[in-house]
Amino acid sequence: MLDYEEELKKFKPSLEVEDIEDAVYQEDLSDMTDLLKQVMDQNNK
Amino acid sequence: MDYTKKIMHQSNYWYNDGLGKAKIRDMSGAIVSLRRSLQYNRGNIAARNLLGLVYYGRGEVAEALVEWIISKNLRPRDNIANEYIQRIQDASGELEVINQAVKKYNQCLAYCEQNGEDLALIQLKRVITDHPTFLKAYQLLALLYLHTEQYAKARQVLKSARKLDTTNDLTLRYMHELAQNRGQKARKQETKKKSRAVEYSLGNETIIQPAQNAMKLLAGKFTVINILIGTLIGAAVVWFLIAPAVQEKKNDETNKQVIESSERINALEAQVSAQTRMLDQYRAAGADTEADAQNAATTADSYENLMAAVEQYESESYTEDVIADTMVLINRDTLGASGQAKYDELAAAIFPAACQTKYETGVAALNAANYEGAIENLSKVVQMDANYDTGGALLNLGLAYMRSGDSATATTYLQQCYEQFADSEYAAEAKTNLDAIAQAAVEGAVAPEQPAQ
Repeated sequence: MLDYEEELKKFKPSLEVEDIEDAVYQEDLSDMTDLLKQVMDQNNK
Repeated sequence: MDYTKKIMHQSNYWYNDGLGKAKIRDMSGAIVSLRRSLQYNRGNIAARNLLGLVYYGRGEVAEALVEWIISKNLRPRDNIANEYIQRIQDASGELEVINQAVKKYNQCLAYCEQNGEDLALIQLKRVITDHPTFLKAYQLLALLYLHTEQYAKARQVLKSARKLDTTNDLTLRYMHELAQNRGQKARKQETKKKSRAVEYSLGNETIIQPAQNAMKLLAGKFTVINILIGTLIGAAVVWFLIAPAVQEKKNDETNKQVIESSERINALEAQVSAQTRMLDQYRAAGADTEADAQNAATTADSYENLMAAVEQYESESYTEDVIADTMVLINRDTLGASGQAKYDELAAAIFPAACQTKYETGVAALNAANYEGAIENLSKVVQMDANYDTGGALLNLGLAYMRSGDSATATTYLQQCYEQFADSEYAAEAKTNLDAIAQAAVEGAVAPEQPAQ
C-alpha cells in the first residue's frame, strides 16, 4: 500500500517562468574538468 | 592519457545513451544520462539542448528554457537552442497558459498538504486540460485518486502519464500499486459469494458494474415473460371488452343512419303520395270540368234539338218519325223545367205514331235480315217507349242484336224483356233465346228463330 503522505513529499513545486532567471544563475555548471582542476590544485598545494 | 579526451568521450557516451532513451520516450532515463553527460562536460551543447528538449517533452517548459538559455550563453552562435527559445517567445500566449497551469499545480501541492484533496482534484483536472503534457500533474492526480480509492480514474490518468514517460519510476510504482489492489480485491471476492464485477471502458471513464447472477439473469427473462403475458391480457381485454363496445357503437350509428334513411324515404313517399293525390284531384277536377263541359254541350244540344223538333212539329211539314229522330237526340234531364214540359208535350204528340212507324219498319228489317236497320229503328222505339208492345220492342231489338252477332247487347234487351214482362207472350221467347245464347256461347253457335208477329 502507498503511503500518501510519503508519496506527497516526493512532489516538488515546478519551475515557473518568473523563476527562470534565478534558476539559470543558480545552475551548477561544474563538470569533471573543474573537479580535476580542484584535485590538481590541492595536490600542488 | 589525455584525461580531457577521456572526459569528452564519457560525456559523449552518456549523451548517446540519453539520446537513445529519449527516442523511446524514456524521459526519466534520458534525463539521468544527459545530466551525467553534462557532469563530464558542461560544454556538451548537444547534451544540454537535448536535456532541454526532454524537459519540454515532460511538460516542464521552464526547466527546458533554463537549459536552452545556458546553452545559448555557452555557445551564442550556431546553436539550435536559439531557435527553441525564439519559438517559445513567439508563442507567448501558449507560454502564459502553461505558466498558469504550473502555478495551479504548485497551488494543488499546497492544498494537498492542507488536506484539501477535493479542491486539489478539481484544480488538477483543469491543469491537465490546459497543459496536457505536464507529467507531474498526472502523477499527483493519480496519487489523489489512489488515496480516495478511485482506482478506475487513477488507471486512466496513469495510462496517460506512461505515454509521456514510459519508465518514470513514480508512474510505474502507482501502476504496480493498482495491480496489487486489483489482485487483493479479486481474492476477496473469490472467498465471498460470486458477485463479479463487469468492467468496461466508456470513453475516458472505466465503468465497474456488479455482474448479473443467475437469479438476476432469470429475472430478466421473467420480465420478458411478464411483458408478454401483460400484452396478451391487454389484447384479450381489447378483444372481449373494448372491441364489442366499439362494434356496438358502430352498429348504433349504422342503425341510426338506417332509421334516418327510412324516415327520409317515408317522408319522400308521403310527399309523392300527396303529390299523386293532388294530381288525381287535378285529374278528377279536370274530369269533372270535362264532364261539366260535356254536360254543358249536351244541354246546349238538347235545347237546339228541342227547338228544332218544335219547329218541325209546328211547321207540320214533317212526319212523326222524322220529328222523333230529332227528339231522340234530346237529353230530357239536361233541360230545365219549361224545356222538359215542352219535351213532354211534344213526346205525347209525336211518340205514339213515331213508335208505330219505326216498330213496323224495324220488324220488317229484322225479317229481311237487315239487322242494322232493325237495330236503328227498334232502338229508337225502345228509347221513346221501352214498354212498347208489352216488351215486343225489347224482344225484337234483342233478336236483332243476337242475329247481328252482338250477343252481349242482345242478352241485355232479352233479359230486360223477360224480367219486366214475365207474364207476356214475349217472356218465354226471350227466355228461350237467352238459353240459346248461353248454349251457343258454350258451343260457339247461335240458332236463328222466327221473328214474333
